[in-house]
Amino acid sequence: MPVVNSVYRHREAGSPLVTLAEYEAAGGYRALRKALLEMPADDVMYQFHRSGLRGRGGAGFPMGRKASFLPKDSPLPSYVVCNGDESEPGTFKDREILEFNPFQLLEGIVLAAYAVDCHQTYIYVRGEYEHQARVLDSALRQARAAGYVGDDIAGSGYACNVTVYRGAGAYICGEETALLESLEGKRGQPRLKPPFPAVAGLYGSPTLINNVETLAALPPIVDKGADWYLSMGTEKSPGTKAFSISGHVMRPGNYEIVLGDTTLRELVYDLAGGLREGREFKAVWIGGSSTPVMGADKLDTPLDYEAIAEAGSALGSGGCIVMDDSGCIVRASLRLAHFYRHESCGKCSPCREGTNWMEKILQRMVDGDARMEDLEMLESLFGRISGRTLCPLADGAIAPIKSAINLFRDDFVRVIENGSPRPEPMLEAVGV
Amino acid sequence: MTAAEVREHIDPIRHEYADPRSLVLPALKFAQTRDGYLSEENLEAVAEATGYSRAYVESVASFYDRLYLTPVGDRVVSVCVTLSCMLRGSDEIMAALAEHLDVGPHGGTSPDGRITLQESQCLGACDKGACIQVDAENTVGPLTPAEAVALVDELREAETPAERWR
Amino acid sequence: MSDAPAPKPPPTDLVRFTLNGRHVYAKPGSMLVDAAAEVGVEIPVFCYEPRLGGPIGACRMCLVEVEGMRGLQTACSTPVAPEMVVHTDNAAAKDAQDGVLELLLANHPLDCPVCDKGGECPLQNHTMKFGPGRTRFVEPKRHFPKPLNLSTVVALDRERCITCFRCVRFSQDVAEDGQLTFQERGAGTEVATFTGEPYEGRFTGNIIDLCPVGALTSIPYRFVSRPWDIKNTPSICGTCPAGCNVDITQRDGEIKRVTGRAEPNYAVEEGWICDRGRWGYPAAWSAGRITNALVRGEDGLLHEVPLEEAVDRAAFILQRSAATGVLVGTDATVEDGHLSAKLAEALAGGRVGRLGIPDRPHLTALRNLPRAELGEIDQADVVAVVGGDLGNQHPIVELRLRKLLRRRGTLLVAGVRPQMIAPRATESVRTAPGRLVDALDAVERVLESGSRPILIWDEADLANDDAAAARLAATAEAAGARVIELSAHVNAHGLRALGLPTGNILDDIEAKRVATLLAVHADPTEFAGSTEWDAALDQLNDIIVVATHRSHITERADVVLPALMKQEIEGVLVSMTGRAQRLRPGSDGPEGAAAAWEILIGLSHRVGKPFPWRTPAQTFASVAAGYPAFAGLTYQAIGTEGAPIGDADVIPVDDTDPPRPLGEGLPLVLTTEIFGDATSWRSDALASLRQQAGLRLSPGEARRQTVTDGDVVVVASPHGSCALTVSVDERLPDGAAFVMTGPPGAGTHALLGADFGPVNVRIGA
Ligand SMILES: Cc1cc2nc3c(=O)[nH]c(=O)nc-3n(C[C@H](O)[C@H](O)[C@H](O)COP(=O)(O)O)c2cc1C
Ligand code: SF4
Ligand code: FES
Repeated sequence: MPVVNSVYRHREAGSPLVTLAEYEAAGGYRALRKALLEMPADDVMYQFHRSGLRGRGGAGFPMGRKASFLPKDSPLPSYVVCNGDESEPGTFKDREILEFNPFQLLEGIVLAAYAVDCHQTYIYVRGEYEHQARVLDSALRQARAAGYVGDDIAGSGYACNVTVYRGAGAYICGEETALLESLEGKRGQPRLKPPFPAVAGLYGSPTLINNVETLAALPPIVDKGADWYLSMGTEKSPGTKAFSISGHVMRPGNYEIVLGDTTLRELVYDLAGGLREGREFKAVWIGGSSTPVMGADKLDTPLDYEAIAEAGSALGSGGCIVMDDSGCIVRASLRLAHFYRHESCGKCSPCREGTNWMEKILQRMVDGDARMEDLEMLESLFGRISGRTLCPLADGAIAPIKSAINLFRDDFVRVIENGSPRPEPMLEAVGV
Repeated sequence: MTAAEVREHIDPIRHEYADPRSLVLPALKFAQTRDGYLSEENLEAVAEATGYSRAYVESVASFYDRLYLTPVGDRVVSVCVTLSCMLRGSDEIMAALAEHLDVGPHGGTSPDGRITLQESQCLGACDKGACIQVDAENTVGPLTPAEAVALVDELREAETPAERWR
Repeated sequence: MSDAPAPKPPPTDLVRFTLNGRHVYAKPGSMLVDAAAEVGVEIPVFCYEPRLGGPIGACRMCLVEVEGMRGLQTACSTPVAPEMVVHTDNAAAKDAQDGVLELLLANHPLDCPVCDKGGECPLQNHTMKFGPGRTRFVEPKRHFPKPLNLSTVVALDRERCITCFRCVRFSQDVAEDGQLTFQERGAGTEVATFTGEPYEGRFTGNIIDLCPVGALTSIPYRFVSRPWDIKNTPSICGTCPAGCNVDITQRDGEIKRVTGRAEPNYAVEEGWICDRGRWGYPAAWSAGRITNALVRGEDGLLHEVPLEEAVDRAAFILQRSAATGVLVGTDATVEDGHLSAKLAEALAGGRVGRLGIPDRPHLTALRNLPRAELGEIDQADVVAVVGGDLGNQHPIVELRLRKLLRRRGTLLVAGVRPQMIAPRATESVRTAPGRLVDALDAVERVLESGSRPILIWDEADLANDDAAAARLAATAEAAGARVIELSAHVNAHGLRALGLPTGNILDDIEAKRVATLLAVHADPTEFAGSTEWDAALDQLNDIIVVATHRSHITERADVVLPALMKQEIEGVLVSMTGRAQRLRPGSDGPEGAAAAWEILIGLSHRVGKPFPWRTPAQTFASVAAGYPAFAGLTYQAIGTEGAPIGDADVIPVDDTDPPRPLGEGLPLVLTTEIFGDATSWRSDALASLRQQAGLRLSPGEARRQTVTDGDVVVVASPHGSCALTVSVDERLPDGAAFVMTGPPGAGTHALLGADFGPVNVRIGA
């Protein structure tokens, strides 16, 4: 169960890397110098490709492949946009990079920009991360002063600007096209795809969008080479991944692990300190709240994309929420339904109306006002929404609830009959 | 806030965007830092400074949780009520604060106008759950209901910052 | 299902695909919804409306299955591809349609019987055709206090809104007025204006036509009719020369509503109409409407008589008269103009003329350039607008130009007035009055820069500017530009094509060559030269008026023959782009009134020179036979879409050169604002929007004239004077007096001469 702090370099260093000197001392900007001074852009791109790095924002799409979709001959400028909206319930891994290792992200985004011949990049930081955005601002100032951002970076003649853009409180702005709309000064509502952002993204220009962790993973890849990265993890899930773990565990927090080498059980019981005395494991939303819930029988699943998919869920953003047997699955489902209803942007009808309706039905269940038919109705509603919406938010809303009904049907039946008493929450101090 | 002040805020970053519409969100965020919310006057200032209609900038503002179109307290306290925090007692914190501040169960502004309590969706701080955030800056946790009450009391006594980023 | 054999050999420029088991063809690149509609298969939509821009895929009503593609596809945004296999009616597609409807209805009141949209509601229709087997939503529905008035003409019922984006996209992306938006998000999304201010503009009513549910309704039409007892008639607006196509809704013979065409005419208005055209119809029953014939009695007063009696009386006067002038007004149809000319021919000493801007020879070169239709602006890459005030006077043109700019085309506007579109235009050149020449370098540069340039020029402004007109024509020709003329009056193009001269009748009266006047939809006392006309009328022995509304001239008439209005008759109007289009009666009009054509034919019989035509169609056939420009046209050929009249070289009938400016002082610039015309002043639906007559000055000019906002001043030209209220307008240049015409009787016409020549005015107390 090796822990390799590749995106969490500050952990390796033992303290936050928020000054340029600290970051450079920890090996920072070696990759950027190497790339800009010694490597043609195509070689940098090749390293991305070869590393097999998959997007860490949720969908797990190979980063290098996505970058290669940007047309080479576009008359329009291209953009690189970093998705730092991190709003998926249970996910807080990007926050740690922004707050404690911001230079690595800046280094990564300039590397990506160099590879796709782009000169203006944006980091979209969720509005609630004002503190982290300020840390990033400060790092950006330092990087600019030292010539790591701006004209003639590191004396290479390559110019690239980075702009930090703050969101203002909307989960949907994590969805890439909604993010672009928001970045264009509009209501954050997803766009129809195609065209995909790689072809027509920000201001209609070719745009590469990647998650914070994805971009932060690039400097070590360039520095140590794609083969080093490939040497970790599994064939289809190479490298390391940061998992956020929270809920009913003793040591909630972020843990960067080598993909495939660690099981869910090890994450929960060894890294996160296990459950409270006397409590049994009940459920886990493993890849953020938009992924299907799993039960204790899946604890031995290795943490990599394929194994988790095989176990019936998805690695997603790596936001792992654990619930012990003190929790009520129906109440938990309602809480998630509430989240998605609140965050639905309202653009497409099935999501707007469907998330609203789902919450209402679950509320009746928790309140003890539901009838058994409501369960069937809820299930049939899933079929009328999922796969039919403009963006995947509604699918994310359905996944945890549909799976909860499948897995814990008896709990639903009991709650429908008796309502759900409010459980005692876990108030034990946590070691962060 | 006047249009000139908003302009002063966005002019230095104007060159970073190919389309000036991108300035609407930064302008809105800035325009509420003094009054704490986007009054009609603040919206008008944003409209004038950015060149988009008042209805448009209001429409954009209303989409985002952290842009406020009605008056709020000197400080905004957000209690994360999403799943991770719920499992760790955020409902209890919310209930305790609501009672302590004499506002409705889902939040509101305390009668003295000092504090607005609101429920918020996942703050990206589940490791600190149950957590609360003050404006958009400080996220603290884990807290017990009693600790949360004490924190809010401290906040009530403290001076209100001149600029509020929330 | 077996593959039906293709009906025709496959056309090579079309794409073949399979739709519900049938081989069909479509234009490459067309979206599945449109491709299916072409072959008679309806795919239900709510948000899809190509006139608003590209598909947005919001409502999800159009989901269909495309074999080989994962999940269901939105047919509104999926282009056909060769050999695509599409199912719009299999179980998956049907469940999707049913599902979206069930979800939409979850929060939609089921109050169709009391909803204005009931019976013509896409949501109701789709529900019936594709709709939910059942609704299972038991929660209380969203509820709002009953309808909100968005303005005095549009009501919004928020609980019926299905968030389809159409209205807000119209406001933001088509009219670009920025006023209507969505507020909040998710299930709480609402259509709204800035903090509840009214939604007021020039095109707001289009959102009613666009709304696929009963959320947006016309206040004047609220609860007036039910869809099953109404009849819709395709017609022409006829308020301005642009010639927008409209549908007129009637019930029990009365006009109830005017809407954009359900089948838009893309060559003309594209389905959009302005609010003046939409809500002008109540002018039909305004206080001044003449509903009965009037004859002046022994007592010197006008008395109501049956129409027959009045026509007899008129015929008697005409027969007796040795010299009759027949004056055709700007609202007259082609048939009216033709019959007037023929009647003048039949009468002893008869002559005919029209009201309008003189057809000056120097305009001929411009008029003989190849014309463009409004729809062709969509293919242009550069457009130059020279003169005019199209936002007020030809409003629909502005929407096309906004579209041009959204397509990143180039727009130059030049002229003396502050064009409303100027802030959006690529370039805008402000000239001094009568100095359009100063803009022509820019116009030339812009037109030359395009590969498909269009020149839009204003009749009124260029009629007085022969230097500019000559150079403009040469420039446009050299650049290969096609032209659109902004006519000053409705049907000016049509009446000109009939060869009717201007100015002659007034001259003839003044020279005592005419002693009897027959005015057909013509009130020269509400027209340029009103002072001169006023005096001229005093010299006449008899005045016979065919008119719709009481006015100064009807008060002086010996016989008043009540005429039907444009929405009550058959007839042809020629739009400013030269498109012949048919008016069709959308309502009966007052019982005591008759169409002008009918009155004129009646008169011909009674004066003993009966015309051989008994209907407008027959009359028009005679027009087609007699005038080269109309050759080959018939009512049938014109149909509901209209047809261009011929390009026969225009031979000017008024061979006068433009007069030199008269008088001392500030050059006068006269404008009619969109809601400042007679229609707006007569229609009570537009009461709150009406624009007053007034004098507008730039701040500098106001200072120089020592007047301020609100002062009432006398504006005097060599022709006449009138009292006006001053308002100071920052958008205006110094050095000109901008006079807005207003309600009938405002007197602003007195400032101009009958020749529309340029004048200078003095401003005094
Ligand atoms: C509703 C929704 C929310 C999302 N939120 C985030 C987010 O907060 N952060 C993120 O990086 N990606 C998020 N995504 C995924 C992005 O759309 C996009 O796939 C991602 O930013 C691509 O980066 P990656 O390839 O590096 O993962 C979200 C997607 C959806 C549908
Ligand atoms: S009011 Fe009508 S047109 Fe506007 S969004 Fe709602 S349903 Fe669509
Ligand atoms: S018509 Fe296709 S999504 Fe609305």
